[in-house]
Amino acid sequence: MIREVVANVLCPFIGTIGYSVLYNVPRRYYLSCGMTGMAGWLVYLFVAKYTVLSAAVASFFGTVVVVLISRMLTVRLKCPVTVFLISGIFPLVPGAGVYYTAYYLVMEQLNLAAQRGLEAIKVAFGIVLGIAVVLAVPREFFQPGYWRQRKYGIRRK
Amino acid sequence: MKIQQVTENKRKYMDILLMADPQEDMIDRYLDQSDLFVLSEEGVIKTVCAVQVLKDRRCEIKNIATVKEEQGKGYGRNMIHYVCEHYSDRCDMMYVGTGNSRKTLGFYEKCGFVNSHILAGFFTDNYAEPIYEDGVQLVDMVYLKKKLESEIDVKKVVDLALEAGRILLKNGGEIFRVEETITRICNRFHVDQVDIFLLSHGIFVSVQSEGEEIYTRVKHVPLSGAHLGIVTEVNALSREISAGNVSIDAAMERLKEIDRHPPKKGYFQILGAGVGSGCFGYLLGATLKESIAAFCIGCLLQFWVLAAKRHKMSKIIINIAGGVLITTLAIAVKHLSIAGYLRMEGMIIGSIMPLVPGMAFVNAIREIADSDFLSGTVRMIDALLVFVYIAIGVGVTLSIYNNLFGGLSI
Repeated sequence: MIREVVANVLCPFIGTIGYSVLYNVPRRYYLSCGMTGMAGWLVYLFVAKYTVLSAAVASFFGTVVVVLISRMLTVRLKCPVTVFLISGIFPLVPGAGVYYTAYYLVMEQLNLAAQRGLEAIKVAFGIVLGIAVVLAVPREFFQPGYWRQRKYGIRRK
Repeated sequence: MKIQQVTENKRKYMDILLMADPQEDMIDRYLDQSDLFVLSEEGVIKTVCAVQVLKDRRCEIKNIATVKEEQGKGYGRNMIHYVCEHYSDRCDMMYVGTGNSRKTLGFYEKCGFVNSHILAGFFTDNYAEPIYEDGVQLVDMVYLKKKLESEIDVKKVVDLALEAGRILLKNGGEIFRVEETITRICNRFHVDQVDIFLLSHGIFVSVQSEGEEIYTRVKHVPLSGAHLGIVTEVNALSREISAGNVSIDAAMERLKEIDRHPPKKGYFQILGAGVGSGCFGYLLGATLKESIAAFCIGCLLQFWVLAAKRHKMSKIIINIAGGVLITTLAIAVKHLSIAGYLRMEGMIIGSIMPLVPGMAFVNAIREIADSDFLSGTVRMIDALLVFVYIAIGVGVTLSIYNNLFGGLSI
């Protein structure tokens, strides 16, 4: 139990920060980057483990959460969305798929290699769709003022 | 002769201001919202001027007065010239309202002002006592206006915008952000007809200023490493520029400074890659010991990547050799292990992550989602090739290990 919590909460958090160092993210954004990565991974894990949906769909939902959080943080912290997006999406990128594909190719288990390779591509497409969907949402929706004004029925100019 | 802006204790200059506007409460109406400028020569104050910035890039001279003995010596004209310069980057039109007397109107006309409009009965409605100038009672307020010609050189603006774009693109900014930044900077300095054509590794900017010739710049920006810190800084700077807080020269200076930002220290990057490798190894199912091994391998890998980048090796070599390095180290750890049996997968999967082209991949998707297929495709191919290189590196090593030593089947 403890291992699971550590593995799934702490690891994506610290790991994401580790990689954001490689992309020279300013220090003040480490915490937000780590949180973004963690949230994405937790959603991915939940969907992949506790529902019947496939890994590709799970990574779609994980990505949606990552992009949503990134866009909210962007408005709040006034800095480019790339910072959170690239770091936060790291736990979902199918790096392991590359390894397994190469591994089974070498072992001449072509069926398994094709299966792993295809799965990695599917996961990649899940990420593609996730990013495309959330980026299509207009920018105003992420500004807090927009919803406050809607609530009180004030019409925007 | 020196002109300074005064921000504190503006009422100190009330005596002089009263010469142009005889009623104190009328001055109080605008003094707090106005910028006050003082012209002095050898420490003696000669002229003061209050300017208020209005909406829609307009401003108004609310008050300008020269000490009585010093009138007619050109101080007033100097002051007007100065404030017009001063506001030319923030405003398009300067207004001034004055009484209908030949002397003052002549003064403003010499300074380049032309008639704008008249406020009928302003002086009789607002002032308690009638005001006389040259023996004539002032009734209406005559407004004059002057178009502020900014002295900004189009070429300088484009160079600035292009430099900002180059730095953004080089350090991993998205195409749309580069485009937006260039347009923003150009528009801020009144260069309105801008055409931009952007590739993932090149910028073409062409501008046409009013009546002048067309100016075009092309810049090649090779694909290179990411520095999101610089992207953040340039983005913040471009916000400041479009808010009108930074002049063109200051902006250029700051850009140069930002461009010189070094990447994170080598040992810090190595540590980051190690921590990332270890954590992701653990996340993807490695045991604690395997994760620690992945941490070490990740550190060594980043050491190699940094060394190779310093010698400007190509991506093919960096990534294939990186894959080979990871796999060899993982095999070595497996065999030399004093800590019992360790699986290779955990170590390799963890330490592969620093090589994975997350940034190129994400940017490619975003470009394609933006319908910029050209840049998107280039970046996607970049990302996919890196995946392939890694797989080749890992695969070749595994197959040598397997075929020569029969390692995998044991």
